[in-house]
Parts: sequence; structure tokens; C-alpha cells
Amino acid sequence: MTARTGEVRPFEPPPAARESLQGRYAGFASRFAAFAVDLVVLTAIFLLVLAAINFAASVLTGNSVHFNRANTWVVVAYAVWAFIYFAHFWGLNGKTPGGGLFGVQVVTNDGDDVSGRRAIGRTLAFPLSFLILCLGFLGILLGDQRRALHDVIAGTTVIYCWDARAARLRMLSRPRYSTPHAPPESHSLPGSPSQADPPR
Amino acid sequence: MDPLAPLRTVGGRLASPAEALAQAIAERVVGLVVGALDLNALLAEIDLNALLAEIDLNAVLAEVDLGQVLDRIDVNQVLDQVQLDSLLARIDLNSVMDRVDVNRLLATVDLNRLLSTVDVTALIGRVDVDQVLQQVDVNEVIGKVDLDAVIDRVDMNAVVQRIDLEALVEQTDLGSIIAKSSGGMASDLVDAVRSRTVGVDESIARWVARLRRRPYPGPPGPPAGLRAAS
Repeated sequence: MTARTGEVRPFEPPPAARESLQGRYAGFASRFAAFAVDLVVLTAIFLLVLAAINFAASVLTGNSVHFNRANTWVVVAYAVWAFIYFAHFWGLNGKTPGGGLFGVQVVTNDGDDVSGRRAIGRTLAFPLSFLILCLGFLGILLGDQRRALHDVIAGTTVIYCWDARAARLRMLSRPRYSTPHAPPESHSLPGSPSQADPPR
Repeated sequence: MDPLAPLRTVGGRLASPAEALAQAIAERVVGLVVGALDLNALLAEIDLNALLAEIDLNAVLAEVDLGQVLDRIDVNQVLDQVQLDSLLARIDLNSVMDRVDVNRLLATVDLNRLLSTVDVTALIGRVDVDQVLQQVDVNEVIGKVDLDAVIDRVDMNAVVQRIDLEALVEQTDLGSIIAKSSGGMASDLVDAVRSRTVGVDESIARWVARLRRRPYPGPPGPPAGLRAAS
């Protein structure tokens, strides 16, 4: 949405951010987005490692090594790397890089930190949610605690770990929100058109 | 014919003049006697205290209908004639009060009933609050207050909830302080990404709730452990 002066209007926080979401069960979009980011990150790192191995092999032997998805060892290595990636971060503090970016954290049913053993169990159970035609994720949409199948198996859940209200106040404190030519519409009611307008 | 009838007739005729004559004589005699007596000297001879000691005052008072006596007395008129100031000036109130057991006296008073008859508003209206406060050492009063105990009784969360933080941030320097102390563009970007994703979360949840024909009160949670911790 553009203000009268032509100034680009910053993003408007959703109505839910009027209260701190910290500790509440994370929704489908946040979890999916976090997983997508993790997938990109771990794939990028994996490709970088493969490129480094290829470069080292070409320097040492003079022959380049060509990796492709048909290579079984590459698939196995990728699966092992993904397992290490998720198990490590979930066991460390419940947050993968994607989870940290989108403010979601894996905790136990009671809200405690995830132990290393539980993190490994969740990582092993994670593919099951995909293998049954992604039906394992329905619990996130329909369950009261928004738990997927692998959450139920591992005894975990995913919560928001960021203070949405504090973020909203930070946004409102920016000078661009208090300029007289571009008045903030932060007090608009939930569901008003201004909240549906994407930033340009 | 009754032989005494003429005598009765004569007697009847003489009765009235004789009675008047006798009364006049008696008054004259009493006047002469009283005039001859020195009443003051006579009273001086009488020991009034001994006389009063002989009288059973309680029995006398028991015979008196005090209610009837008091009914005949105009108390207001009596009180009008009494000079209370001079009377009170002659009374040593301190010594009187020393002899009064105030606690025992107050124990017999129904304070609630007493206060219900008091027009507190009118009473306070007559009080010069400024003058009263000038006599109060506020520092000493505050020094006696256990602020910790007072604060313990205050629900700070409820107080904070009543603060319009958004208006506070937007209309005061607090906003610029927060802006300076918080991160820059990267932080703004992360906040924006998270907020946008939460908005999508809420949209999906509302859409699912509408399909299931259930109300959507907002994001569920938190888990029991986190709820207890908070």
C-alpha cells in the first residue's frame, strides 16, 4: 500500500501480534516456511560440500568427480546429512535455522527443552508424516495442540518462541510510522483492507 | 313541734358570723406570734444537717413521680438560663477524664449505629483539608508505610494491561528509545517475515475452523508446563 506521498508503507503486523504469541502452538504456515528454509539451507550446504569434494578431487587427482541424484551414495549421504542437521539443531535448543528465522521452536508436550534422544526420535519419525501421503501433517491443521504425526510419536510440539507484541512495538517505534504524511494504520481493526495489502 | 327548733334556727344564723370572727381572731393571733418570733434565730437553732440525716431521702424520692415533675419543667428554658461556659470553666475536665475509663465507655457504644446517624459528607465539608494536610508530616507518614507490602498487594500485570503501550510508543520518546536500542534493518526484516507468516497461520486456522463450523478464539496454547511457569 502506498501512502499519499508515494512513500512505501512498511509491513503491517497482523492482528494476532497485538498480544505476545510466545509459547503458543505454531501454525502450519510458520512451520512449513521454517522447514522450507531448512531444506534450502541443508541442501545448499550439501551442494557446497559436494562442490568442495569435487574441487579437492580435481586438484589432487586431476579428475573431476560428477555427482548426480541417481548416485545411491549421494542420496544416502544427503539423508544422513539431513538427519544430522535436524537432530543436532532440535537437540541443541529446539530451533533449526529456519525455525529461528520464523520464530518457532520444538519443545516437549510440557513445554520443556527437547533432549537429544527425543530429538533423534523426532528426526527418525519425521519422514513418516511424508510417507503416508503427507496425512501426518493434518494434525497441525486439525489438532488442538497443532501436533503432526512425528510430534505425537516423539512427544513433542512446536511453539512460537518470539514476542510478537514486542516486535509490533518495535515496528511502531520506527520513525516512518510516526511521520505526519504517512500516518500509521496500526490501530485499524482486524480484517481491515489495509492489513491485506502486501508491501511493495 | 320540736322544742329545740328555735335554738337550731338561732344557731344557723350565728354560725357564719362566728366562723368569720374566729378566722379573723386566728389570723390576728398568728400574726402577733410570728411577729414576735425571730425566724432566722429559730432556724439558726435547728441543725439542718441532722434534720436531713433523719430524713430517708430515697424513700421521699421514691414517692415522687419524677416523670411528672420533669414533664412540667421546660428544660430548654432552664438550659437557656444556664451559662455553660462559666459552668464548664469551673470544671476540671482533665481530672474528670482521668476518672473515665474511655475504653469501657466506648465498648458500650454501638459505633455503627452512631456513625449511621452522622452525615459524613457534611462533616467532611466542614473540614479544611488544606489546613489538616499542612499539619501532616507526609514524609513521616510515608516512612511508616511498608511499600513492599503495598506493592505485593498490587497486581502489576493488571496495571500493565491497562497501559496503552502502542499509544505510549507512538506518542512519546519511548518509541525513539526503543528504535535506537533495537536492531536495524535485519531485525525489522525478521519481524516482518514472522509477522506475515503468523498472519497466514491465522488465516489458515480461521479457514479450517470455518470448514469445521467451529469458532476460532485465536492461537491455542501454551503447553501446560509453560503456562505454569508463566
